[in-house]
Amino acid sequence: MYKPVINGFMRHINKLRWLCLSLVFISLILLPLFSVYQNYVSAHAYDLLLPNQKILYDAMEFISDPFLSDPADQLALVKGTTWSGTFFGFKISDPLAVLAQIFSGLEIVWPFVVTGLVPVVLTVLFGRFYCGWICPATFLYELNTNLGLLLGKYGFVTGKKQLDQRWKYAVLLGCLLLGSLTGTVLVSSFYPPAIVGREIYYGIALDGFGLGALFVGLTLLFDLFVAKRGFCRYLCPGGALYSLLGQFRLLRIQRNVKTCNDCVKCNAVCEFGLEPMQDKFGGECNNCGACVATCPTDALTFTVQMRDAAPQGVGHLGTAYKRQQQEKKEGA
Amino acid sequence: MGWAVVTMTVVTKTVVDRPLVDRRRFSKLVLFGGTALLWARTGVSTGLFEIKKRMGRFLRPPGALAEEDFASRCIRCGQCGEACPNQCIKYFGAEAGVQLVNTPYIKPREKACILCMKCGDVCPTGALQPIEKDAYVIMDEVKMGTAVVDTNLCLSYQGKTCGVCYRACPLPDLAIRVGRLEQPHVLDACVGCGLCERSCIQIPQAIRIIPAHDAQTHNVLAP
Repeated sequence: MYKPVINGFMRHINKLRWLCLSLVFISLILLPLFSVYQNYVSAHAYDLLLPNQKILYDAMEFISDPFLSDPADQLALVKGTTWSGTFFGFKISDPLAVLAQIFSGLEIVWPFVVTGLVPVVLTVLFGRFYCGWICPATFLYELNTNLGLLLGKYGFVTGKKQLDQRWKYAVLLGCLLLGSLTGTVLVSSFYPPAIVGREIYYGIALDGFGLGALFVGLTLLFDLFVAKRGFCRYLCPGGALYSLLGQFRLLRIQRNVKTCNDCVKCNAVCEFGLEPMQDKFGGECNNCGACVATCPTDALTFTVQMRDAAPQGVGHLGTAYKRQQQEKKEGA
Repeated sequence: MGWAVVTMTVVTKTVVDRPLVDRRRFSKLVLFGGTALLWARTGVSTGLFEIKKRMGRFLRPPGALAEEDFASRCIRCGQCGEACPNQCIKYFGAEAGVQLVNTPYIKPREKACILCMKCGDVCPTGALQPIEKDAYVIMDEVKMGTAVVDTNLCLSYQGKTCGVCYRACPLPDLAIRVGRLEQPHVLDACVGCGLCERSCIQIPQAIRIIPAHDAQTHNVLAP
């Protein structure tokens, strides 16, 4: 009888990922609040604030006071969203923003291209990790999937439609070409992570949500009624770009056929509808590690490799494999 | 742009195992693509672009490029507004059309620019150019608009000494100077920050900024 080697850390990788997603989302909410607080501080205007503004001021002071000596100055160090942000004087932008800007302006702005370099290198190494570990829209979409599961208990049937995964490349190309025709960065209006960050900022620091919030709401409904995680899998232009960049990624999840027992938990848990048990990962896999965490026999692990393994057949701990062996014996 | 199309096609062909478009769908694609091209090159999009004229008079933040370049450079990240300590930078909604949506604007009568130059520092693309925070550098490089005085409305020109705009100006005697009864005269150095318009005590305001990016539309003194 095979005794699984319990890999303590990998068991919890999905929780770690959720922590990461939540931290990004919470910081997207906190940054606009801090921005407003910073303006109040630099204006020395506490006595002039309205009662509700005073509550905001006090709350933000309570949170940030132990860490900051000069909020007006130090809070300026971290700004922006995942679309484009400033992190301690270091500017980081989404590679899609860089590409869209090149298409819309038909010019290459080198200082801006450099800001997209770090995410590109990370994507080439780690694949579509942005979609699984950072994207603020993924946070909403995964909660939405869970909502669908919850509603399923009360008889609600979520959409199970299968579309062609290559639609998203067409969306990416279409957005870029329309962007260069209209001379604007059009993708920013159809790319959920950019919209989510922006709309949270509008909602908190400015007048309120815009039409982008409605768009994100519609994509959530699309996921719920048409296809599970449909927008990310079939339509997201950023996902298309990350899939392209992550084709030859080094970090890959691989199945160890000797310890696999064909339980299909990995296929069931994969948000993107991939089939880890059939060794089908491809460019779509965003290295989220949900299958690694759920595997009861530790057959799935992160490996450093240029290409996915060829299909390895049924797992050696499963009944199908035993039957195969028996048939072979009888044949011989 | 041609090289980009070629690269994308090659990349798509290498990534997907069969071609993205087979013969059956080709005619459909031509139909939709042709419609999109027509849409982009003819009336509909022109109509969308004319929304700009209906959005009223607005300024771009200091250091902004010329309007066409600005629309293609700005990636709509919203950092300029987040960096603005005066919270005068706001953003257009979807009603403003394709070119303006989510781009920053300043309506000086609501809240004017205090020329802190933080938005230019934080802009990743250079749609807002970084400009040193120095009065003379700002006078040289910033041109958001020019203030124009309506002498029929201005109190000082009507015999009641006022001078509020002169006192609000961050570049007094360089951008604006006052004569008899504190009658304001705008000089060439005016950068168009809008603090004079913001502080004008007349309703409607007697001094207003004619935006540099759209001087033709707003050269008439209309509210």
